[in-house]
Amino acid sequence: MSAKSRIVGGLFVIALTAVACGGPAGQSTGADIVIGVPMSITGAQAKEGALAKQGYDLWLDWINNSQGGITVNNVKHKVKLVYKDDQSKPDISAQNTQSLITDEKAQFLLGPYGSATTASDAVIADKNGIPMVEANGAAQAIFNKGYKYVFAVLSPSDKYAGVILDFAATLSPRPKTMAMLSADDNFSLEVAKAAVDQAPSKGFQVVLNERYPNGSTDVSGLVAKAKAANPDMVLNSGHLAEALAINKAAKDLKVDAKLFAYTVGPSTPDFVSALGKDANYVFSSSQWTPQVTYKPAFFLSVQDYVAKYKQQYSSSNDPDYHVAESTAACLALQKAIENAGSLNPDKVRDALAALDVMTFFGEIKFDSRGVNVTKPMVVEQIQDGKHRTVYPGDIANAKPQYPTPSWSQR
Amino acid sequence: MTGFRRRLLLIALLVVMSIVLVLPATLTPLAADAGLDPESLGVDFLVNKSILRMETTIAMFIVLATAWNLIGGLTGYAAFGNVAFFGLGAYTVGMLTDPERGNLPFAVALPLAPLVPAAFAALVGLPLLRLRGHYFAIATLGMGVAIGEVIKNIDLFGGSTGLFPPIFRRADWLFFYLMAGAATLAVATNWLVLRSRFGYGLIAIRENEEAAAVIGVNTTLHKVAAFVLAAALTGLAGGIFAQWNSFINQENVFPIEYNVEMILMAIAGGAGTLFGPLAGAIVLESLILWLAGMGGEVAVISQIGLGLILAVTIIFVPRGVVDFFGGQSTLSLAHIRRSLRETSV
Amino acid sequence: MSLFAQQLVLGLLLGGVYVAVGIGFSLVWGVLNIVNLAHGALVMLGAYLTWWLFTNAGMDPFVSLPIDAVALFAIGYLVQRILINRVIRAPLFFTLLLTFGVNLIAVNLILLFFTSDFRAVAPGYAGSGMTVGDVEVPYIRLGAFGVALLLAAAIGLLMNRTRVGLAIRAVGADRDAAQLVGIDLRHVYALTFGVGAAAAGVAGGLIGTIYSITPTAGDPFTLQAFVVVILGGLGRVSATVVGGMVFGLIEVLAQTQIPQGAGWANAIAFAVLVLVLVLRPQGIMGRTA
Repeated sequence: MSAKSRIVGGLFVIALTAVACGGPAGQSTGADIVIGVPMSITGAQAKEGALAKQGYDLWLDWINNSQGGITVNNVKHKVKLVYKDDQSKPDISAQNTQSLITDEKAQFLLGPYGSATTASDAVIADKNGIPMVEANGAAQAIFNKGYKYVFAVLSPSDKYAGVILDFAATLSPRPKTMAMLSADDNFSLEVAKAAVDQAPSKGFQVVLNERYPNGSTDVSGLVAKAKAANPDMVLNSGHLAEALAINKAAKDLKVDAKLFAYTVGPSTPDFVSALGKDANYVFSSSQWTPQVTYKPAFFLSVQDYVAKYKQQYSSSNDPDYHVAESTAACLALQKAIENAGSLNPDKVRDALAALDVMTFFGEIKFDSRGVNVTKPMVVEQIQDGKHRTVYPGDIANAKPQYPTPSWSQR
Repeated sequence: MTGFRRRLLLIALLVVMSIVLVLPATLTPLAADAGLDPESLGVDFLVNKSILRMETTIAMFIVLATAWNLIGGLTGYAAFGNVAFFGLGAYTVGMLTDPERGNLPFAVALPLAPLVPAAFAALVGLPLLRLRGHYFAIATLGMGVAIGEVIKNIDLFGGSTGLFPPIFRRADWLFFYLMAGAATLAVATNWLVLRSRFGYGLIAIRENEEAAAVIGVNTTLHKVAAFVLAAALTGLAGGIFAQWNSFINQENVFPIEYNVEMILMAIAGGAGTLFGPLAGAIVLESLILWLAGMGGEVAVISQIGLGLILAVTIIFVPRGVVDFFGGQSTLSLAHIRRSLRETSV
Repeated sequence: MSLFAQQLVLGLLLGGVYVAVGIGFSLVWGVLNIVNLAHGALVMLGAYLTWWLFTNAGMDPFVSLPIDAVALFAIGYLVQRILINRVIRAPLFFTLLLTFGVNLIAVNLILLFFTSDFRAVAPGYAGSGMTVGDVEVPYIRLGAFGVALLLAAAIGLLMNRTRVGLAIRAVGADRDAAQLVGIDLRHVYALTFGVGAAAAGVAGGLIGTIYSITPTAGDPFTLQAFVVVILGGLGRVSATVVGGMVFGLIEVLAQTQIPQGAGWANAIAFAVLVLVLVLRPQGIMGRTA
């Protein structure tokens, strides 16, 4: 009996001391700038997490190895990115974010991938007064809560919808009806809602508007319903898995719409490698493509960026926009630190709020909520297995292939 | 002898707890007044925000595992959907404190957090607790998933975007106290139940439900009461979590993994015992958070390691690390051999 | 009307997938009293094997199904023999949690070896199909449907017409009595789990051909297997077939016949699950207790 009591009491004390001694004793990391990154490396969002990590690491290599670090008041500081895996779970992500700030002494944060993890981490960043620049999939809902320290470089959800509708309006024969399918996570639903709201004013009739559970593998029933509504356009707001499922079901059921457009998915190399030639003709609203013609004020040109990506990751594919927007988040942070001339989080926060800079990714300028409303979006299409930019016309490198031929004629 | 030892342990625990409870509130402002960095005082576990958050999370899982123990450990009903109560508690606070909805202060909303899940448990408990074994497990699992999905589909509850209770700044220790208080309440409830006639009724049901009915235990009433108690405690933790995290949605407060984790903690520590779930929660959640904090390159390996640790724990320590109730000595080689003999073919 | 016919066909074809996913899960649960939380991971192992053979050896996905079955049988046999047999007589939680651990290990091993990239098997006939009236019947889904029914029939025959099946059923009915008449329990348990895993492997091959696959894509299939088995009732192959078909129909009809029904699909599926358990715990096809 006594052994038992000792073990229990001992366990409790050991556990408390174990947590007590968990963190480092608080030694400084020297002149390095420490940036914390809560990231999904395992779990359901491992793929998207891997893309974001590529974008962050690309910038890290550039800033440290070819620039010697970030220059603050003529002093160069090397940068250290500290990743912590959140297993795609919001509660783990929040804990990791706090640990990055407290234990790893992260002075700044780069955002995770998903909407739920971002929302949890934004609270921590704001509570601790640490600026966080978000690159991927941030729902606007987060930015309507008055958080002061959270910024997102990507164009907000309403632009995803707007650009594809504006593009569709330029086509001939002009499509008139649309079916809107959406995953039921907050980001996808915001995009879908914006599309449905904007459609009448842009001359489109919404014949179907349905949502499906996030992560669905089989949406064939819904696609059959879309076919019965006979829309000119099939739009999907979701993720890679669902874009693949919808495209496969559309072929299975011979849905011959004139235009298929999906938000997330087609821009990734996986979409083409998984679908082969069935990926052709699919349109996608994209944050960025390798064809955009922005004249950046610093960092690499678009061509050099693509070349560096291919070299650094030994890849034959172009970087997709998730990689680019992640790099852009690093650039926003870098420029803000340089502009602030200080590593003080509040000064860098103010510099982020005042930022207005042109990058390879486009203009980065935040509104009062921290959303980048300035940068336009583009439309790309997969043509013969290659990603081509087709809209807006001044940066397009290919004409849209439209209307999409029927499945029997491909 | 036994009673004396136990009382001693309880007193020791209370002393440790009260020290833990009083210190952070007084230390941080004192240090600030003296112009010291609180983190330089060598009492990291009380003032370091990251560790405080970890401790709050651990306290939360102590509540979940200890509450589960009432229905799963004592009564022997394999509840696999307690996360529904956590979510309902969280949404109760979320709805009541939301500026566009209830707009009530957290202090008013929190006492209601246990009530809504408790009422719900009473409602579904009657039909569900007629089921046994795996069937009860899966029915409760289904209940947990269905409730979360329903809430996600209703715009009144914020849809899939969720709710954003206002942030309490510089109040990390407040939530630690609240969670630790809830954990103490959960352990105290277990202690009272274990000592009461009610508790013996529950154990009788676990050992043989028909026999319990024969000797005059109102089995339905006992089971539903245990279920409701578990729901109330779990809901309380959910309510605290909502305000602490300042963001809740279906993904966040109805995760299926919580069901598995709370059971795993109770079992690893010793299901049906007083301190088993507590010890299990401390050890396992520390492990989970420590592995999660390992960082980038080894993340996948650390997850495989976690799976291996779980498997080994289940196989070699099937009676749990703490086995007060059964009166077995623990963690001896002979014990492991014996339990392996008992459970394997 | 033709939309409704199309949906009935889609529902039944989806039901075929659910039958394949549910059949091994039901066998393991019914005989061994193990709720196998690693079932989805076993399905994904089959899917990745089919993908690997297709990509590296150009093997037709339907041809690779027997290979999936053999490989997964071996894995399943070993998992049961080495791990699960050690806690098989412990309370039901222990096997539940042990398989949870196995699932965590398997999913992350897949992530380690195959990365998080999305994979798909696209043979030349992918997406082609026949048109009956104005109802589309895709060949791959039809083939998968046929394989699922064959798989069910094969397991039914194995259980009812062979000595191995007799031994498995004897163990399922009364393990002590089975041991008394000289049945090697360890071997038969491992065989049963192996057969269940083999069925999961075949289901995985089919799923890898119909859908795209990622390391974590298996978890939803475990949940779906729950629903199939509960809907149909535990223990008999025919019950799993009915459960799978009913679930497929419920899901597709909920997606299409109810406005905004797709968003509610999970809520409906699990509410039906709870209702069936409460009102008819033996399942649609189960004998009354």
